Amino acid sequence: MKKNFLSIGSVILVLVLMNSFFIITETEQAIKIEFGKPVGGPLVSSGLKFKVPFIQTIIKFEKRILEWDGIANEIPTKDNKYILIDTFARWKISNALEFYKSAKNEMLAQSRLDDIIDGAVRDEISNRTMGEIVRSTDREMEIYISDVKGSEDENNNNEDFVKKGARKDIVESILTKVQNKLFELEMGIEVVDVQIKRVSYNKQVQTKLFNRMVSEQNMIAEKYRAQGQGKKQEILGKQIQKEKEIVSGAYLKSQEIKGRADAEATEIYASSYGKSPEFYNYYKALETYKKTLDPSTYFILSTDNKYLKFIEE
Amino acid sequence: MSSDFEINMKNLPIKNIKSFASFAILGLLLISSIYTVDANENAVVLRFGSYSSTTGPGLHFKLPFIDIVDKVKVDYQYKQEFGFRTLRPGIKTQYSKRGYENESWMLTGDLKIAEVKWVVQYKIKDAKDYLFNVKNVENTIFDVSEAAIRLMIGDRSFIEVLQSERESVALEARKYMQELLDSYHSGVSIQLVQLQGVVPPEPVSDSFNEVNRAKQEQETLINEAKQAYNQKIFLIEGEAEKIITEANGYAIERTNEAKGDIALFESILKEYNKAPQITKDRLYLETMEAVFANNKNKIIVDKDIENLVPFLNQKLNNIK
Repeated sequence: MKKNFLSIGSVILVLVLMNSFFIITETEQAIKIEFGKPVGGPLVSSGLKFKVPFIQTIIKFEKRILEWDGIANEIPTKDNKYILIDTFARWKISNALEFYKSAKNEMLAQSRLDDIIDGAVRDEISNRTMGEIVRSTDREMEIYISDVKGSEDENNNNEDFVKKGARKDIVESILTKVQNKLFELEMGIEVVDVQIKRVSYNKQVQTKLFNRMVSEQNMIAEKYRAQGQGKKQEILGKQIQKEKEIVSGAYLKSQEIKGRADAEATEIYASSYGKSPEFYNYYKALETYKKTLDPSTYFILSTDNKYLKFIEE
Repeated sequence: MSSDFEINMKNLPIKNIKSFASFAILGLLLISSIYTVDANENAVVLRFGSYSSTTGPGLHFKLPFIDIVDKVKVDYQYKQEFGFRTLRPGIKTQYSKRGYENESWMLTGDLKIAEVKWVVQYKIKDAKDYLFNVKNVENTIFDVSEAAIRLMIGDRSFIEVLQSERESVALEARKYMQELLDSYHSGVSIQLVQLQGVVPPEPVSDSFNEVNRAKQEQETLINEAKQAYNQKIFLIEGEAEKIITEANGYAIERTNEAKGDIALFESILKEYNKAPQITKDRLYLETMEAVFANNKNKIIVDKDIENLVPFLNQKLNNIK
């Protein structure tokens, strides 16, 4: 009987002890609940902890940074373009007690965050131009500018990408707004970071943009083709020019050569014939007779001709 | 478990049970007080849930049941893919590209859309931070990477992204990712951000290919024209050469003839100077001989004959 009493007592002791201690790990934080009401502050530090057995219960919460991933929202920008903005955030339970009172659990907290972050994003985006949202600095970009006029459609205002970008400012401003709002609400939630993940056009605008890109490329292709043809003609022109240059150059040179030869020949003749001009005239005359008086020539010779002077005698 | 134990107790002698139980408890204690850490791992030891130490590779002791060990691969390159997924890695790795347009299509600074595929490689640089600070670090890296790449692409024009700025996009994205992940104390080190492919999106890719074709056509046209030019010019240069050579031939001929002519003339002149009248007469007769020898139309008329014209008319008519 006594033995049984002892063993029952030790079982109860073990149960009491087991219910008095609990462990909080590095990734956890907790609050104590007494008769349905939280008591004391949030338990943040990890380790072996004590509570009043059976009367106090423990509710644990995540201490690590948690995910929040929004769905893409279509928001009009300041310059009236409808874009889809997809954001994500990282948050943590900064005060487990406040968190328990207001949000209860992570799921509910996520949906509260949806409202707060989406609102802040919407406010900020609708106050900014497309260029400011997409770009983050004012660095100069190398842009292909089509030199064909009249090809711009309503989605193509060239000023857009000239402006200074403000992506980082926007992100910071959203974060500040969200943090301030959460501070006011005392939800025990701290948003560590908000980032814009994706900025995109809706399907219709995207299709239009693709069409514009295609037509721009076609224009570039045509330009290349035309330039090719032009260049070909240019080369052909150069060819003709070069041809004429070469042929006429050769003509010039050949005439010069011939001229020099003629001059030389003339000089040779003159130097020799000059020795006796009188005999040269006679000699040359006879030579020309040989050449010009061919077999078809009619000769009517009188007997007092010098050639026939011996016939007379 | 406990019921099995009780059944066994009934069958065994009490002494044996005691020694067996103590033996089992001892073994259990021993097993749970040692642990090994592999070469590429670090182990984080929690004592009553609190961080106690980080241990490197090797055999280590711990307090049984009180210490909990979490092993983390710190020397391992983790990889994430964006805009595509590796289906089957191997010598010829297969990729899936379809269906990731949401990930890969992004706006450039001049408000066009580029398709960007990239990979991120990272290591766990601090096992403690990695385990305790961020829940689901992988998702966080994924989100941060998307934001970072888009931020960099959004600040560059379409052509820059496709051509000159690819490397700086990767470098700056890596830096930005590291900054964000450090601000979360995630314990992760981004080793590499590499752009795998930056191309025009599929709906416009044909038109870009068309531009490349046009470029090649242009080059072909120019090359053909240049070839024709060279051929024609070579031909013409040959012809020009011919003209000049002919002229040279003419020149040589002309001077040689001249020299020949005067050689002849001077030899006759020599004769003439010796006996002028005789030479003149001889030359005259020789010439006349040559002229008359082949001529059939010779009429010799006595100097005293008159009324010669009618006769001549008749004669000429006959010949006609």
